[in-house]
Amino acid sequence: MLNSVIAGLTSGGGYALLGLCVVLTYRLVAVVNFAMTAVGAMGAFVMVTLTDEGLNVWLALLIGAATAALLSGVFGAALVRWFAGHREGTKAAVTVALYVALTALGLRLFGGNTTGARQFPNPFDDPVFTVGGVVVPQSVLVSLAFAVLITLGVGLMLTRTRLGLKLQALSERPGTAEVVGIPAPRLAVGVWAGVGAITMLVIVLVAPRLGSDFGALAGLISTALAVAMVGAFRNLPLTLAGGLIVGCLEGMSSSLDSIQKYQGVVPFLVILVLLWWRSRREVWDTAHSR
Amino acid sequence: MTAPALALEGVAVNRAEVPVVHDVSLEAAPGAVTVVLGANGAGKTTLMDGIAGLAPVKSGTIRLDGTAIEKLQPYKRARAGLGYVEQARTTFRTLTVEQNLIVSQSADGDIATVYKLFPELEKRRTLQAGYLSGGEQQMLVLGRALVSAPKVVLIDEMSLGLAPLVVRRLMSTVGELAGMGIAVLLIEQFANLALDVGTHAYVLRKGGVVFSGPCEELRGDDERLHRLYFGGPPLSAAGTDAADESELE
Repeated sequence: MLNSVIAGLTSGGGYALLGLCVVLTYRLVAVVNFAMTAVGAMGAFVMVTLTDEGLNVWLALLIGAATAALLSGVFGAALVRWFAGHREGTKAAVTVALYVALTALGLRLFGGNTTGARQFPNPFDDPVFTVGGVVVPQSVLVSLAFAVLITLGVGLMLTRTRLGLKLQALSERPGTAEVVGIPAPRLAVGVWAGVGAITMLVIVLVAPRLGSDFGALAGLISTALAVAMVGAFRNLPLTLAGGLIVGCLEGMSSSLDSIQKYQGVVPFLVILVLLWWRSRREVWDTAHSR
Repeated sequence: MTAPALALEGVAVNRAEVPVVHDVSLEAAPGAVTVVLGANGAGKTTLMDGIAGLAPVKSGTIRLDGTAIEKLQPYKRARAGLGYVEQARTTFRTLTVEQNLIVSQSADGDIATVYKLFPELEKRRTLQAGYLSGGEQQMLVLGRALVSAPKVVLIDEMSLGLAPLVVRRLMSTVGELAGMGIAVLLIEQFANLALDVGTHAYVLRKGGVVFSGPCEELRGDDERLHRLYFGGPPLSAAGTDAADESELE
């Protein structure tokens, strides 16, 4: 069991990063972005296609990140242009449609799990140390360090820079932010593009471990949303912890033969439990207001 | 005669696709307070939102220092010199007092001027705006407009929910803004307080202008104001044209 939990932590860092990207998009532009991992996967597959063609891996990484940033920025611009005054549910529904369209396009372009699995570069595969018989590769430390770095970096950027303060103002009162001279549409598109690029980098980091076909990587959105829910779509450190918790739960489920095949259900169970837990007060209030 | 800092001509504004303001023409001179009065639902806030870009202008022109701005996005209007003090004390509650000012500051804006005008804010510069009293929050919103170095400031019902003493203090600050050469367009529920500080007044009824004239014509004349707000038999007072229950000059 301990081995499985430690093994789960190796995925947890990646999950935490994806959850952070969901939280950032929600906090800064008030959109639950279901298309996020599909955009990241698109950029990652552009990169791996270019490396397969013999392009230098770092140049391919740059082009892949730029592709994801551009795609995400275009989606953000469309939402700002046509859905700015709409409710959060409507915007989320638009991103669900984009997710479906992008996944279909990605599978068409890059193939499914039988034909389209690619060899992603894995520069951090060397073992660092062994705990309880489990070899911990460098990628675990890199993804955890990346997650902590993003949590701290974003926290500092939001509170210590003029740009961060403007982003906070924008997320709190979009209309007022505009009338005080904050270029809300431009900043929102910038956030979308930045999150797109970061998601692509995370997908490249986790692809060797979590799946290397387009459908599996795009489908990581369910895990990312479960992780974001742990942090209530707001709290960055809690989201970080959420990623590790979901990773451990998956690890534990894989250690029991009887439930191993249901491992993919873990994110949905986490979402259900959190929804139930957070609705307790409403149920209590309703019962006592009668 | 001084050219108006803000000039509206035949402006119509919709709210959720429903026409609320129609054919409004008005001017606000630099260094003066222009008052817009009217009953609840007359279209005052919709008019302000239309000028600031928060509600769509369906027709007409809005000129800021002679430049048409009605097609610009709200932030571009702000950068062109339009400050907007919205209703309901719209501070950024999670930011501190100073951070609220920093996000609005333009290259020519000076936070020290705001602190000079409102020393209370300087004492609370590191406090989150959500913890300020109602009066202090309104001071902050006024200060936020000032720190963008505006040519025109729109002020919408800043006295809402505030104690009379605080309202008087804020109203004298409005006069000081005009003293700095800024054109102030003021909507206010306490008509006589606004008329005391203003030079020219407009009265809106059902989305259209029914009176335009010097503030002194309306100052203290509650009966006439009431008639302008809600309609009634035409007046034949000296110095005004009475026609169709309106007193447009």
